[in-house]
Order: sequence, then C-alpha cells, then structure tokens
Amino acid sequence: MLVEFTKVYPVFSWSWDIPGDDNTEKEMGDEDLCGICRVNYNGTCPSCKFPGDDCPLVMGECNHNFHVHCIQQWLDTSTAKGLCPMCRQPFSLKRGVAINESQIDKLANLLIQSQPAVLNDDQDMMMEQEFVVR
Amino acid sequence: MASLPKRIIKETERLVLDPVPGINAVPHEDNLRYFQVTIEGPQQSPYEDGVFELELFLPDDYPMEAPKVRFLTKIYHPNIDRLGRICLDVLKANWSPALQIRTVLLSVQALLASPNPNDPLANDVAEDWLKHEDEAIAKAREWTKQYASRK
Repeated sequence: MLVEFTKVYPVFSWSWDIPGDDNTEKEMGDEDLCGICRVNYNGTCPSCKFPGDDCPLVMGECNHNFHVHCIQQWLDTSTAKGLCPMCRQPFSLKRGVAINESQIDKLANLLIQSQPAVLNDDQDMMMEQEFVVR
Repeated sequence: MASLPKRIIKETERLVLDPVPGINAVPHEDNLRYFQVTIEGPQQSPYEDGVFELELFLPDDYPMEAPKVRFLTKIYHPNIDRLGRICLDVLKANWSPALQIRTVLLSVQALLASPNPNDPLANDVAEDWLKHEDEAIAKAREWTKQYASRK
C-alpha cells in the first residue's frame, strides 16, 4: 500500500524544566500551582496574557515555585519581609536552576531591600546602582 | 470594576462545594469580593452553640493584602473589640498570599477556641479575663446565648 502524506500538523507541548519535579515528595492535592495566584505553573500570572518566556516561573532556595511576577509583587509589599509565602523562610532564587538564570539579577535587587518602599521602575534602577556602589 | 481574578473564583467555588465544617461563607451577589460569613462557636469553648455573623472583604490587592474580616455579632472576647475588629496575626503582620479565605476563617474559629488575653485588643475584656477568668468565661457564655443564638 502506498501512503501519501498531503499535510502534516506538528503538535508541540512545553513545560517549565523544574528540577526534582518527578520525585515522590509531593503531598496529596499539592498540584503544580503557583502558591500565590493558584494558576498552573505553565499558565500565566493574573496580569499576563501569554504563558512562557513572557511570564516566567522561578524556583526558590526552599524549592517553592512561583510565577516571577507573583513573587515579585509579594516581595514588594512591606508585609512580605522578604519571606517565602509558603514556608516563611527568607526567599532567594535557587542557584544552578535553568529557569532561574534570566531572573536572578532582576530579583536580587528586590531582595536587598529589607524595608521595601513604594518605587516605580525608574527609581528601582537607581536603587540598584546605589547598592552596587556599596 | 475589574474582572474577578481566577483565584477568587476558585476559592469561592470551593467554599461553596466543599465547605469547612462550622463555617459558611457566601459572596454578596452585587459584590463578589464581599462575603457574608457565619462561624459556629467551637465546642467546649464559651462560644459553644453560638452562631456568629461576620463580614469578609477581599481588597483589590488580595492576595497580596489580607482579607478584611470583622465580627457583626456582638461577642465577649479579649481579642475582638466592640466594633468587631479582630486581633489576629494572619490578618495583619503575618499574612501570606499562600493563605486563603478558608484558612483565615479557620484561624478565626481557632481564636474563639483559645482566647489570648495577653495580646488584647479589647483591653477591658482582657483585664477581666486575666483577673477573673471564671467570671469572664461566664459572661462570654451569656453574651453568646443573648446575641449569637441560632435563629
């Protein structure tokens, strides 16, 4: 039998490369949801339209994952005191994790501010430079 | 008003479909961020057999900011003042976006089970509680009967 392909529709799927995602540590009912907005890791935070690189996922040193926009917004509040919403340990990005690489510089700036003030983006940049000098 | 975030929709659905025993929370039809809440007084507490009405409001910044919760039913409790305001760490300094409406209401219920007169909001009540605990508990029971009886 001769088969002739007239059209081919490739289908791709993707997901964040989360280290240790396939181990058995997961508790029952503990789905792959951002602990802040409760949307799936592969979905977007509430302010974004398109999942993926526009709305990255990050992993904390404590192994808790969040959309970067969600955790950033949280760490920017005075209530946060720099702590992870899930375990209340000081939040920092886990080193050596691929998904974190592009975010480490951006988030580091936030974490340095122990007393977060209300800043817009321009002022944020200035703060960054100040800290570099120190 | 901006559309309701998915998280709030999900939380509301779960509150209705899988309610916490002794706690009932219903969103107001005109404002889905405003909930009418009832909490049953915990057993073996002075609030036993009482049903307390509360209001819960989710501010625009929720879940970055804690829900606002207030007792509408009069209650004699060292951590709840006469305006119904509640002194509870998770509603203020210890709020976390990992908490939810249901966990907050569970904490309020737990506060009824274990009043803490050493961290008072209603100073006169707390003083009473520390000096004459038996009398204070009796008064809390009496108020429960008077103001929080099941209708």
